[in-house]
Amino acid sequence: MYIDDIELEEAPTLEEAADALARHAPDVRVLAGGTDLLVDLKTGRVAVGHLVSIRRIEALRGIEETSEGLRIGALTTITALLRSPAIQARYAPLLEAAGRMAAPQIRNVATIGGNICGAVPCADLPPILMTLAASVELWSRAGQRHLPLEAFFTGPRQTVRRHDEVLTAVRVPEPPPGFGAAYARFGLREGNAIAVAAVAAGLRLDGAGTAVEARVVLNAVAPLPKVVDAAARELVGRAPDEAAIARAAVAARQAAQPISDLRGSAGFRRDLVEVMARRALAAAARRARESQA
Amino acid sequence: MIELRTLNVNGHDYPVAVEAGETLLDVLREKLRLTGTKKGCNVGDCGACTVLVDGEPMNSCLLLASSLEGKAITTVEGLARDGELTPLQKAFVGEGAIQCGYCTPGMVTTATALLAHTPAPSTDEIKEALSGNMCRCTGYAGILRAVQRCDCYRGEAGGGKAAGPAEAAPETAAPPAGARHENVGVSIPRVDAADKVTGRALYTADIQLPNMVHGKILGSSVAHGRIRRIDVSRALALEGVLAVITGADVPETTYGVSPARYDEHVLARDKVRHVGDEVAAVAAVDERTAEKALALISVDYEELPAVFDPRAAIADGAPQLHDRYPNNLNTLVDHHFGDVEKGFAESFHVREESFTGNHIYQCPMEPHAAIATWDHDGTLVLYTSTQVPHYVQYMMAHTLHLPLGKIRVIRPAVGGGFGGKAETTPLDFCAALLSRKLGRPVKMVYSRAEMFHHGRGRHKQHMRFKLGVDRAGRIQAFVNENYLDGGAYTSFGVATAYYAGSLMPTLYHIPNYRYLGRRVMTNKPACGAMRGHGVPQPRFAFECLLNMVADDLGIDPIEIRRRNAMDPDTITVNELDVGSCEFKATLAAAREKSGWDGKYGKLPPGKGIGVGSGGFVSGAGYCIYRGQVQLSHEKPREPFQKKAIFPHANAVVRVTEDGMAAILMIGAAEIGQGSDTVLVQMCAEGLGVPAARIRIRSEDSDISPLDLGAYSSRVTLMGGHAVARAGEAVVAKMRPYAAALLGCAETEVVARQARMFPRGNEAHSVAWEEVARRYFNDNGPLVGTGCYKPPEGLGGDYKGAAVGTSPAFSFGTSVCELAVDLETGQVRIERFTDFHDCGTPINPRAVHGQVEGAIVMGASETVLEDVQFDEKGRILNPDLHGYLMMTIKDAPEIFSGIVDSYEPRGPYGAKEIGEGSTLPVLGAVAHAIASATGVWIKDLPITPEKILAALRARKASARAGER
Ligand SMILES: Cc1cc2nc3c(=O)[nH]c(=O)nc-3n(C[C@H](O)[C@H](O)[C@H](O)COP(=O)(O)OP(=O)(O)OC[C@H]3O[C@@H](n4cnc5c(N)ncnc54)[C@H](O)[C@@H]3O)c2cc1C
Ligand code: FES
Ligand code: FES
Repeated sequence: MYIDDIELEEAPTLEEAADALARHAPDVRVLAGGTDLLVDLKTGRVAVGHLVSIRRIEALRGIEETSEGLRIGALTTITALLRSPAIQARYAPLLEAAGRMAAPQIRNVATIGGNICGAVPCADLPPILMTLAASVELWSRAGQRHLPLEAFFTGPRQTVRRHDEVLTAVRVPEPPPGFGAAYARFGLREGNAIAVAAVAAGLRLDGAGTAVEARVVLNAVAPLPKVVDAAARELVGRAPDEAAIARAAVAARQAAQPISDLRGSAGFRRDLVEVMARRALAAAARRARESQA
Repeated sequence: MIELRTLNVNGHDYPVAVEAGETLLDVLREKLRLTGTKKGCNVGDCGACTVLVDGEPMNSCLLLASSLEGKAITTVEGLARDGELTPLQKAFVGEGAIQCGYCTPGMVTTATALLAHTPAPSTDEIKEALSGNMCRCTGYAGILRAVQRCDCYRGEAGGGKAAGPAEAAPETAAPPAGARHENVGVSIPRVDAADKVTGRALYTADIQLPNMVHGKILGSSVAHGRIRRIDVSRALALEGVLAVITGADVPETTYGVSPARYDEHVLARDKVRHVGDEVAAVAAVDERTAEKALALISVDYEELPAVFDPRAAIADGAPQLHDRYPNNLNTLVDHHFGDVEKGFAESFHVREESFTGNHIYQCPMEPHAAIATWDHDGTLVLYTSTQVPHYVQYMMAHTLHLPLGKIRVIRPAVGGGFGGKAETTPLDFCAALLSRKLGRPVKMVYSRAEMFHHGRGRHKQHMRFKLGVDRAGRIQAFVNENYLDGGAYTSFGVATAYYAGSLMPTLYHIPNYRYLGRRVMTNKPACGAMRGHGVPQPRFAFECLLNMVADDLGIDPIEIRRRNAMDPDTITVNELDVGSCEFKATLAAAREKSGWDGKYGKLPPGKGIGVGSGGFVSGAGYCIYRGQVQLSHEKPREPFQKKAIFPHANAVVRVTEDGMAAILMIGAAEIGQGSDTVLVQMCAEGLGVPAARIRIRSEDSDISPLDLGAYSSRVTLMGGHAVARAGEAVVAKMRPYAAALLGCAETEVVARQARMFPRGNEAHSVAWEEVARRYFNDNGPLVGTGCYKPPEGLGGDYKGAAVGTSPAFSFGTSVCELAVDLETGQVRIERFTDFHDCGTPINPRAVHGQVEGAIVMGASETVLEDVQFDEKGRILNPDLHGYLMMTIKDAPEIFSGIVDSYEPRGPYGAKEIGEGSTLPVLGAVAHAIASATGVWIKDLPITPEKILAALRARKASARAGER
């Protein structure tokens, strides 16, 4: 339960962070809020000799409104997301995920970058961000990469990020008119419980109320956030009525690859996926209709 | 890598040398000695370590100290200014938000930040803000109240005159003139509340002795095995390691709880019987080094087949844990009262059902801790987080072969126990042995995971119940067949196995009763005594079965209870002596207050209401060991005698020489339940002075005489008698002096509110302290003593008749209202209405606090909690994110009511509340879920997954029925 034999470097700039990462790779981790990493170090899940803290890098902070949408610095805390007027006004579905995460003490420290880079299969932000068509910026001495969030994850706790890369920001485009999204999440208790199964859904409707775009992303029931194209196909080209949503939910259920663990069996998780998909889609459809007006 | 950093804590800059990987929590506690901030889990789950960083609450266990330069850190010690509590702290004191106090620093710190942002938060905002702070004691009700009512405590010192506790109802205000008592029946704040809310209260792990070193214990990695060889050389070679001990270094004497079955060695000598079974202990300069050293000890095990289910373990050919328990049968109880066959034959309706309990762990927020040091004269001084200082003393004496008089047990503040701290731990023994070896104080603290592996939680029980009733629902016969999953050692298990049967007939008249209990050993941590000892699971099963039977017969569930309810002054079928009993009043009050008649059977699908009842002993009738207080090896094997050999509670009151204060000494264990406070109240009543004049010294066995401790809900009744009698003994000594001053007969002297006067003539009085001084002038110390022995002859003459005996019994009824999401199975427990017969309450607020805590703990245990094991016997969830307990957001709204009752055998009419309050809860929740869903879930916990499965099964069978 102690973190032993470790060196900590506080990098004042991205350059120095990248250099330190390159120097110590692979025996090194980026330290952001540390709410995941320090637990892993204490419990022995992760053992490395070096930490590079990026907390002093000002460039990684802040939520910026750009012409294309939002640029959220990697160090933005969950609390900062919840308090951001811009997010409250135009990206409220993100708050559904952020607001259900952990507890205030953790949310005051935990960062969006850490939630994404940790690539824990039940992390709450990636699925909803994916329905919002978010992308990530990765920076290293070799230059900046910019990729869609769904291209980022490769497996549980695995991503395409190279050891010397720092995730600098998350970009979220301005939601188009007629777009609505929602996050439905099941945890075993009301307060401070991680997701057993959750579904993020996004829908865009045309003027006639027909879905022109749909996105269903499953959380905690697959090795990585799972985009269910089959669910989208049930919706695109028709009005997202109850029957279409129910079919999409069944598709979501079938696409889930849950495991059984102490929080629930695979079968139970599948049941939950279907219910959560239905609820998320219904809410997304309602919001999409509202945003047409 | 150690570097010098400047940390700004509570407004001061502290230069500190910190290691790169060191957390703020460890720096605060170990280097700055600010121990108000607590370590409950060390991984972000409990919130006990909350501090403010630039005004925002954060878990200090997940912050690296070295990265906090330039930040303003506020700990609980920094909240009060110049000794003046903040309004919020006053509200915590005044609203009953504090019990054991271990969560309190984190709670009050987190809530301080909330109120800074949001001065008038809504209930939901408060719950959200505190959702990362776990409390195991209060059920969050008092905490919520305190934050909601903080404003009432603003203004003048003490919160202003107009302010004060909620519902300044009769029970919280000063007693009306002419009331019989002035100190009892009054909700004074806890005597330790201010210390707890400021972080001043010292728990064992907060104590630092000069030259102290730190120990850690290595647990077995296999569930069942023979130890071939232990190599400690690499551990000993580690810089900073001072000593390593193994089974070869510990006494040959085994220890335990039930005298007939002392079957544990301090460290395993040949075999290990569960994952975590203790094999070696290390002492080192600091805990970090000791922990590192554990990884360097190599143990070579010959792994043996293991068994994890009691029904498999009892079968022929199953792996044997102990040679002395063939077929792993640790305890067999076979009781038959009346004639059940005849009872069933005469029944109109018989129903038989199976129920399964769960593995519940007490999970007090404070981890177990011990510090041992030896005086030069060979006295062992042991600081330990325990509910039973005397039994620890007895067991240390037994195991180390020392007279009890050479053992001084100090019980610092204890952060909750619930039965999990009711026995001597390996920490106590290993700290003592390592300290003796090194000649230095040794501190040992369990991690959260080690607590789970040490175990002693509730026995998981597999129950087959059969109940026969007549046409009117009156019980004719009842059979209780039970396999108790004991884990690897006996612990309390003999008593548990008896309790699981013996307390069934105290609630209802059961004319014919058969109990067949088998406690079987399995390769899991030993199970022990937990709140409601042995009874909650069978009580859950019985209450469910009774409700099923009521439904079968079309009788209202509360009505069927009324028809069977125990009456006062009854000897039960198993010869328990029930005195006062207002069970029926609790049924009527719960029915009325909950609006039962308008709701039961009338709610829409997904909404449920249910009822459960329960009751408990007010203190066990007999001591756990036999004979007098003496080293067990020196005592002859004692036959059981139907009387207390020595007083179970003992008190001394010494009045200070100026007569202005009295020191109450009694070795009762304050573990958060509030015993110090109610004992002060009852002593004050005996003395005739306000409670504020009394200071209690209960923590040190050198100072305070023996009390058997905080178990079997015994302290209010037994300790209460002792302290009241000690107070009265003081007054008796003062009488001649008062009579002389007042010019009246000694027998006419009355002591009240620090005055003494002739009966009926309050105007003609002398100051109490003046009389005390006169006594001192002539005689020296003014001291009174008091003691309590349970009545003689309790219980029948059959084997095991002692278990379940008590001077008095409590009764209670809970109604639970909840909602179930029929698509996910999610249960939302909304409301509890509870009425209890606890006798006459000494401190009503403390009673409600126990009820609120028990309801949330019991509800949590019914729907969430379960220690889970893998196929190798490893615990899958030895932490607070896998072992889920209710947060403030999960906790229901609670109405707690007390029915009028007076127990002649209790002090001032009091009985108990601490354990009995748990018992109605499980059944009420299960019943409400059944009424919301239409399906009974008979194995605990009632998870969403089980609810969905049952709903699906019902649908399938309905469909099959249609075809
Ligand atoms: C009690 C508790 C409850 C929790 N509940 C939830 C929950 O409900 N939902 C949920 O989603 N999570 C939960 N978490 C997990 C965790 O808090 C979040 O995932 C958090 O967002 C992680 O952020 P962080 O800044 O603390 O990450 P860190 O711990 O600092 O880092 C996490 C990982 O990401 C890497 N990393 C971080 N930032 C960067 C970057 N900018 N560039 C490259 N690599 C980076 C780190 O090297 C590390 O491997 C919980 C944690 C705890 C302790
Ligand atoms: S000790 Fe930090 S949250 Fe439990
Ligand atoms: S008072 Fe909250 S844990 Fe004991």
